[in-house]
Parts: sequence; C-alpha cells; structure tokens
Amino acid sequence: MKKQSMWSMRLSTASLVLIPVAVGINYIGKLIVGLLKLPLWLDSIGTVLASILAGPIIGALSGAINNVIYGLTVDTISFVYGITSIAIGLAVGILFYKGMISSWSKAAVAGLIVGLVATIVSTPLNVGFWGGQTGNVWGDALFATILSNTHSTWLASLLDELVVDVPDKLVVVLVSFGLYKGLPRNIVQVYNSDNKVETLD
Amino acid sequence: MKSISLYTDRKSVLHSLDPINKLYYIAFAIFIPIILPSIEISLACVALSFTLLISGKVFTKTMPAFGVVLFTLLTVILIQGLFRPGNATILFQAGPFTMYREGLLYASILSLRVINIVSSFMILVLTTSPSDLVDSLVRKGMSPRIGYVISSVFQIIPEMMAAMETITDAQRARGMETEGNLRVRIRAFFPLLGPVVLGSLINTKERAMALEVRGFNAKSPKTYLLDQKQYRFSTVIQWGILFVIGCAIVWRLAS
Repeated sequence: MKKQSMWSMRLSTASLVLIPVAVGINYIGKLIVGLLKLPLWLDSIGTVLASILAGPIIGALSGAINNVIYGLTVDTISFVYGITSIAIGLAVGILFYKGMISSWSKAAVAGLIVGLVATIVSTPLNVGFWGGQTGNVWGDALFATILSNTHSTWLASLLDELVVDVPDKLVVVLVSFGLYKGLPRNIVQVYNSDNKVETLD
Repeated sequence: MKSISLYTDRKSVLHSLDPINKLYYIAFAIFIPIILPSIEISLACVALSFTLLISGKVFTKTMPAFGVVLFTLLTVILIQGLFRPGNATILFQAGPFTMYREGLLYASILSLRVINIVSSFMILVLTTSPSDLVDSLVRKGMSPRIGYVISSVFQIIPEMMAAMETITDAQRARGMETEGNLRVRIRAFFPLLGPVVLGSLINTKERAMALEVRGFNAKSPKTYLLDQKQYRFSTVIQWGILFVIGCAIVWRLAS
C-alpha cells in the first residue's frame, strides 16, 4: 500500500482533536516532574507523541499551540520558544516517517538528533533574550564557567543548552516511544491517514 | 474545576476593548523599543504598560508572571555583570568577585526588554477571556477549526489535571512511592503518566466521532452561537497605534 505523503495538509478531525490532548500531555508531564522533583523538563512528551501518531504537521501545530497556551497561562517568554517546539514536532515526525524510530536503539539515536535540533534552534533565542542562559541551574553554572574562561557567549550558550536539552529530549523521545508501543492498535489506527475504505459489495 | 486561564473578571475600560486592540498593543510594545533603541523609550513603554495594567485593576495579578522571569533575570544580571566578555570598568568588588559596569548595563537592557514584553502580554492575558480572544480571531479570519483546538485546550487541561490527581491518589493507595531517592521517583513517573495518556487518547477517538457527527468537517461556512460583541473605539485605537509606529520609523530614519 502506498503511503500518503507525510506533508498532507488534509487534517482529519481525529488528528485535530489530538492537538489539545498533546498540549495536555505536555502540561501533565511538567506537572509530574514538579511533583516528583525530577531534574529534567519532560514538557514535550505530548508534542513528540502527536508527531509519532499523526505526522510532522500535527506535531508542529501541537508544539506551536502548546507554547501559545503556555505563554498565555504561565510564562510569556515561551511564545518565542514556540519555534523550538515546531522544530521538535517536525524533526520527530520526519524521523518516525522515515522509520528511524522503530526500535529502542533507533529511538535513542533519534532522541539525540531531536536534542541537537532543539539546541541549535534555541541557542540564538537564548542569546537574544537571556544573554545566553537557559534558566536551568546546572546549565547556567556551566554557562558562567565557560563564559569566564573562553569569553565566548555563543560557545557558552550552545553548551549550556546542549547539556540540558539533549538528555531531556533523549528521555522524552524514549518515553514517547514506550507510550506509543503500549497504545492499543485501534487507537493508533485512528490517526493513520493512509487507510483505504473497502466496501464489501 | 480550576481554570488554567489567568483572566480576571473586573469592570474596566481595558476589559471592554476588542482583544484585537490588545494584540496591536503587544506589537506596539515590542516594535517601538526595536525601532528606537534607547533605555528611556523602553522605560516609557514599561511605564505605559504598567499604567494600563493598574487602570485595568489587575496589576497585583501580574506578580506570578513576573516572579517566573525575575528569578532568571537576577541570574542574568549576576552572570553578565561578573563574566561578560568586554567587561572593563569595575563597579565594585565583593570578595573574589568583581562586578563590571558594561555587563550590568547589558543585563539591564535585556531585563527591561523581557519585562516590557511580559507586561504588554499581561494586558492581553489578564483582561481578555480566552473564548473572547478566539471568537475575535475567528471573526477576523482565523480557521474555526484552529479556533476550536485552542479553546478546547482550556477545557481539556483542567480535565486531565483532575484525572491525574485521581490517578496519583489511586497509585499511592496501591503503595506507589512518590518521594524518596531519585530512582524511586523516576520509577513513579510511568504509573502516573501512562494512564492519563491512554485515557485521554481514548477520549479523543470519541470526541472526534462526536464532532464528525455534528458536521465539524462540513465545507459550508460556519455560523456563530453567540452574537458578535460590540466593542467601541477599535478603529481609532488600531489606526492610532499604527500611526505611532509609523511616526517612530520616520523619526528613526530622519535622525
């Protein structure tokens, strides 16, 4: 069966309804991290899961809307980081479509790639808005050390984002892949846009 | 159920304005300091936003939002003041650390920019209910499907948070530990997240069917359940803001 292009803009109702749930899962992920005091963000599980289930367009939309909602309710500056969320959604969608998130080991590699993408997109935003910092205590401590030793804001900022984002996205992609594998197939099938309708007569 | 929206219902002029005007104001507050980059102009923008927030009787409600950014800004001021490349003029010394003038100046410009953006967004967020904003945007031509998605986020998140509370209680009742060393806490992550994700995805299937049955995908133009709200002064405010931005550009080019 020929697969429909992953860039199909024909958004089915099921995949549109997935977006608010993706945003909700992002929120819940962050909430649980706060509850359990884990040292990562884990606030993009929903975006990644939506990309896996419904492709890069829905993933990117989930990311964008996630940051708009987050900007309207908690942290205004997260509007700007919507660009990062869009990049994460696109990257995961493309990687999954190309079959590069199909086993645990492949998912780990994909997680590292997504982390790098997020780092590259976020660093200029960090430099523009926070002088290069990320707001994460460990990352910022590293930022201060490198800045005082090398006098390069960009290098310090890149490494600051790298040490925080890559482990985070690695875990996020692995968690999402685990959740995806655990989903009943009749749920996964709902978002499959290349299903053909067959009639019996 | 607790709403996640920060909207505060008050009686004020700001509350009775078209949400689109507030979007124009955000554009104004962001672009003016870019067009005219001086500390005085940025301060004036912040002062204007604060005045508007006070006139909307919502100034005290901005504190949590500023709390989020102020901590980060404090670290920015510290790190830039101590380590920024190009630091030369010593301001003061505290033990082994030296505070420099250049870094401090740079950090205060950054802080001012962030505070300016946050305060202009707060005007929109605190004085506009999300449904009014979505309604205005859809009437301006945004896709009603995207409009549905945005307003349903505001309903789904409290629902999911309630579901998570129930699940947390249930898992704790079964003996799951949520406190202790890192390994214990990591192990608690999946039993909390899994059921919420699964439950909400099963719900989407039903929600999608319910929407389809009601013609969500119908090609015909959508009608509105509620009458259009009557807002005053919209044209004046929007053209006024555009005029001021225009003047700023001319001033920048002329000087």
